[in-house]
This record gives sequence, C-alpha cells and structure tokens, in this order.
Amino acid sequence: MIMLKALFKKQMLELNQGFFQDRKNGTVRSKAGAFVSIFLFAVLMIGVIGGIFLYLSNSLSVLITAGMSWMYFLIMGLISIALGIFGSVFNTYASLYQAKDNDLLLALPIPVRYILTVRLAGVYIMGLMYSMVVFIPALIVYYMKAELDAGKIICSLWFALLISLFVLVLSCVLGWVVAKISTKLKHKSLMTVVLSIGFMAAYYFVYFKANEMINNLIANALQTEISIKNKAYFLYATGQAAAGDVLFICIVTVVVFLILALTVWAMSRSFIAIATASDVSDKKVYTEKRVKARSVQEALLAKEMGKFLSSPNYILNCSLGTLFLIIAGAALIIKGAWIRNMLIIKMGWGADFTSVLIAGGICAVVSMNDITAPSISLEGKNLWIGQSLPVTAVQILKSKLNLHLLLTEIPALFCGICAYIACRPSFMVGMLLILVPMMYGLLCAAFGLMLNLKHPNLNWTNEVVAVKQSMNVLAVILGGWIMITVLGMGYMAVYESTSPLTFLLICFALFTLLSAIILRWLFTRGAKVFEKL
Amino acid sequence: MLKIINYTKTYGDKKAVNDLSLHIAPGEIYGFIGHNGAGKTTTLKAIAGILQFDEGDILVDGESVKKNPLVCKSKIAYIPDNPDLYEFMSGIKYLNFIADIFGVDADKRQERIRKYADLFEITGDLAQPISAYSHGMKQKLAIVSAWVHEPKLIIMDEPFVGLDPKASHLLKGMMREFCDNGGAIFFSTHVLEVAEKLCDKVAIIKKGELIKAGTMDEVKGDTSLEEVFLELEEAK
Repeated sequence: MIMLKALFKKQMLELNQGFFQDRKNGTVRSKAGAFVSIFLFAVLMIGVIGGIFLYLSNSLSVLITAGMSWMYFLIMGLISIALGIFGSVFNTYASLYQAKDNDLLLALPIPVRYILTVRLAGVYIMGLMYSMVVFIPALIVYYMKAELDAGKIICSLWFALLISLFVLVLSCVLGWVVAKISTKLKHKSLMTVVLSIGFMAAYYFVYFKANEMINNLIANALQTEISIKNKAYFLYATGQAAAGDVLFICIVTVVVFLILALTVWAMSRSFIAIATASDVSDKKVYTEKRVKARSVQEALLAKEMGKFLSSPNYILNCSLGTLFLIIAGAALIIKGAWIRNMLIIKMGWGADFTSVLIAGGICAVVSMNDITAPSISLEGKNLWIGQSLPVTAVQILKSKLNLHLLLTEIPALFCGICAYIACRPSFMVGMLLILVPMMYGLLCAAFGLMLNLKHPNLNWTNEVVAVKQSMNVLAVILGGWIMITVLGMGYMAVYESTSPLTFLLICFALFTLLSAIILRWLFTRGAKVFEKL
Repeated sequence: MLKIINYTKTYGDKKAVNDLSLHIAPGEIYGFIGHNGAGKTTTLKAIAGILQFDEGDILVDGESVKKNPLVCKSKIAYIPDNPDLYEFMSGIKYLNFIADIFGVDADKRQERIRKYADLFEITGDLAQPISAYSHGMKQKLAIVSAWVHEPKLIIMDEPFVGLDPKASHLLKGMMREFCDNGGAIFFSTHVLEVAEKLCDKVAIIKKGELIKAGTMDEVKGDTSLEEVFLELEEAK
C-alpha cells in the first residue's frame, strides 16, 4: 500500500508539474507563482469552459421541462465524453506508452499491476476533469429545472461516474491507436498538421452552427425521439438511465464495468510489451544517389525549411497565415461579383476605397505568419553548428528571413492578385493592393527576427516553449495587428481628404522605411548579437 | 598550423583561461588534458570561432580567428563533446549540408561519405533521422562530417566518449593518417592512456592556467602520463 501511495504521489507530481515548475527554464515556481498558475487554470476551466457549458445546458433545458430529460442527458453526456477524450487521449499516449520512466519503474521491485494502476489513475483524473467541466454544469441546470426525487439525483450522479469511467476506457483504446499509428506513420508532421487543421475547421464549423443545430433539435425533438428509439435504442436507454430509470442505469452500469474490466485485463496483459516497445518505425535503408552540390545560401535555406517541415508546432503556430492567404484569395475570386455589386456599387464605396480595406485585411492575415519570431530560439543546442561553420551571421539571418518570405510572399502575391481581380481598382491602386501586403510581410519577417535576436531562448527542453510560449511570437502577431488597426483608424479619420492611392503610397513608404531600418540593424548589429549568442 | 598566443577568456570577473600560449605544427596530434572545468572546452570553442575572447589571438594556418573568422573556419573541423546535431535531418542530409557549406563537389563528397561511413559501419543508417541515432552513432556521424570536407586542422572535444572499442580504434588510425598527410589535430581527453599512446605533444591545463606542455617525453619523462598529471594536479 505504501508503494502504491508513493507511486500515486509521483504520478500526481508529474501531472501537476506545470503548476509548480517553469517550463521555460525548469526552475521551481515561487508559492505565489504556483498559486497564480493554479488560479488561472481554475478560472479557465471553471469560469470560461464551465461557463460555456452552463450556457449550453441552459439552452437545452427546454428538453427537461418538456419531459425529455433523457435527450438532455444524452446530448450533454456525449459532449462530456468527447471533451473528456480530447483532454486525456494525448495524456494517455504520453503517460502510458511514452512515459520516460517506464524503464526505471519496471527495473524496480514494483508489481506491474501497480504501475499500470497508477498510470491509469493519472489518465482517469485528466478525463474526469475534462468530462466533468461539461457534465457538472449540466447537472446544475438539471437540478434547477427538473422535478427531482432521490432516485433521479442518485441516477444522475451515478451516471456522471459512469461517464468518467467510459472516458477512461475510450482514452485507453484511442491512446493505444494513437501509439500504434505513431509508430507506423511515415509523414508524422504532415499528418499532424492536416489533422490539426481539420480539427480546427470542424471546431469552428460546429461553433458557428451550434445555435442553429440546437434550435433544430429543439424544434424537431419529437421526431428525433422517435428516430432514436427506432434506430439506436441503446442511446435512448443511456439517456433514460441518467434521467432516473433504475433498470436502464443497472444495465448501463453492467456494460460500462464489463468493458472497463475487459480493457484493464487487456492492458495488464500487454503493458510491458507496449511500455518497452521501440518507437522506431520500419527502418529506411540508405541507397546512394547522385547528389547536386548547392550554394551556401541554398543549403542554409534548405536546412531552415527542413526544420520548419519537421515541426508541426512550428507550422501550426507560425504559418497559418500562408493557408489563410490562399483561402482568402480563393474566397475573393468566388465572392468577386458580390464585392463589386454590394460593396463597390450598392454601398458606393468605389473600387479604390474597397481595395484599401481589402489590403488592410490581407496585411492582417500576412501578420499571422511569424516564422522568424522563434527561429533563433529554435536553434537551441544546435547553435554551435552555425557558429562553427564558415558562414557569416548575415548569411544565417538571411536564410531565416528567406524562409519567412518564401512562405508568406508567394501566397500574399496570389491573394493580392485575386483581390485585384475581384475589386478591379485603378492600375496604381491595384499595384499597391498587391505590393503593400508584400512589403508588410517583409516588415513582419524582419521585426520577428529582430525581436528574437534581442530575446532568444536557447535553453528550452521542449520546442513548444520556443514556439508558443514566447513573448516574441505574441509581440509580432499583436504588434502587426495593432499597426494595421492604427493605420486603418488613421485612414478613417482622414479618408475624405486623402485618396486611396495616397494612403496606400504612404503605407508602402512607411513599411519600406521601417523594413529598411530593421534590416540594416539585423545585418550590422544584429549579426554581431548572433555571433555572441 | 595552430598558434594560440596569450589567449585569455573571462566570464564576468572569473578568468576561465588565462594567458594560454600553444603552438601546434602540421603533422602533430596535440592532446589537451585537465580536470573538469579547467578551461579545455572554452579554449577549443574559441579556436572553432564559437566563443569570442578578450585578450590574445588564435592563428589558424597564419590567419587570425578574430580578424578572419571565416577563413579560419573553412580550414577547421570541430567536433564538440556532445554531438547535438540537427535531429530533423537524416544522416545523409546532414553530411550533404556540411559538404555544401564547405563547397565540396558532388563526386568528392560521395566518395568520402562512402569511405568513412562504411568504415564506421553507419552507411545503412544514413537515411534514418538523426533523432533515431544513439549517442555513439551521432558521434560517428560528427566524425564523418569532419573528415568529409578535408580540413587542415581538426579540433575535437572528448572524441572517444560514446564510441565503441572498434570505432575508437578506427578513429585513432584516422587521426594518425590525417596528421601523417600534413593535417593537425588538437583534442581534449580524460583518457590518459589514449593520450599517451596517440599524442605527439600534450598540454596540461589547471584552473585556466597552462601548467605543462611539450612532447610526450618532455612531459612525462620516465613515468606515465597519469602519474605526471596526478602529481601536477596535487602540486599547485
């Protein structure tokens, strides 16, 4: 028992490490710092996410008063399971199958079932936290709206427990699937990026359609009830179990406990094999091929591109602007007729004024790319390579700028041309509609690199710290948006006396001047800073 | 080939290396020994152009590291104590990257990669990402990358750490061959037996100060290098 307690304490320490340790430098947080991070997390989980689901539960509460509590619990239960799995599946993968201390624990005189129990307890707590942030608000609303008796309260509370156990089962199974796919997948970075973008698209689709879906569901509740009863009776039974049907809650309990027992049994049989499995996929054998020698600048750019493409974190956090510029360009072509009819003709804005607004929009999207902002930090422990090779600091800095420009300027050019086709402004305004966002892209690239040179973080242990938790990245994106907003507001104040062409020329000149100043700094003093890092 | 003239490096108020002077001639394998924190890595990094320094100068083939760092770096290969290589690259991509930077033409690099990768038995692994390499394999790759551009001077920090006995033996042979062909090697090590057998000259550094340097016979006399080293460590 003492052993299990010690293991459990270790697991909890690992789980809550982020509250007590600074991930940037590995130092222990002060008590005040730990309190603030726990408080902020609690505000996020309870105040923000819990609040959202309290609002959602309240929107669905008509189902309770209409005598369809089973449907209310079914919907909230499914959402709760989905969020619970989302919150714990990657933790399952990391803590069960990729735990760094698996070898250490297996070498100690600890029964394997203890290790598994403690690992599963960690997964269960994560799943419980995420699923209950949905289900507790649902229970609160239910208790406020329903006519309660002891049976309904006990069944709903028991159902909450069953949900958390079901989340544990699904997390274990899906975690195993993720582990299996991960060892077989050849293009992990690409797949991670595609799946993440797909998930984001699905999230926003549901987010924007949620109200419509809820309204449809409530309006057609009776037909939905009949349909579910006919086609998926087990879903109806599950909902009824939560709403107080004793027979159904007993059946659901038996089913959940059975599959839980089955999962734990299967995992205990395969835990050692899984925990000690090599992460190496099928070995790629080298075959000599004719290579082409590249120039120094080409080699450095290829190295930067290789780093970029190898890191889903880097791609997703620093280059979404590239994707959005392409989407925006396509949208501008598709909506070209609407822009001309609605904005230019009916609203009377005219093609040139509309072009200014669209140029501002393209600039805002351009500033979403902050590829240079963490690029120095990402060198991390590899910094010695660049510093020991016969290349100048300027060449290295240029390669980082070039990667940013390659991934920003081409889609910005595409988007600008699409905007030109959609708006059909005068020739000069059209040229500036294309050139201003491109110059702004150069400014953002140079600004990001300058900030990172001034505030590099080369001692990270996880690159997420360099990519996501960096003030440079935030400053570049926010700074970019603030600049566009200020310029836009400035134009609104003087647009009657300043033509679109004049304003765009001023913007172009301003961006060019600022870019030139920062680039000059980068290639003189910035290069010296890099050499001394 | 390498002249270190009154080299001094300070970190804040602390002198990491003080007034160090050494001369490594072509054809020489020069060992650099000292306790942990004596200033060996600081010196080697300064020669490689990674660390800037306060006083003195370092000349590589007559060129100052301070004044002409690129010219010096183009003649040097540096292998650090911990080979942190680009883990997102495969072994072959890393070797090609180094060859590109040093301007090695396609035929020569292919021939050298084949020769040295075969020698260290890592040819079959060259398509693998470096992140999948063991410490020893990374060390072997770093060694191959140093030899692939045929430098004049090789700077190595603890090159034998992590290498298996066969690879260590091969490396010693390669070092000797490299110096017999006119190159020079300056390397640090804690393995005194290796230093004794391999080095033409040796320098002992303690707390940033050079305490003894010369040919192996001059330094150790009739005793072993280990005995001399321990005596000197305890003496001052």
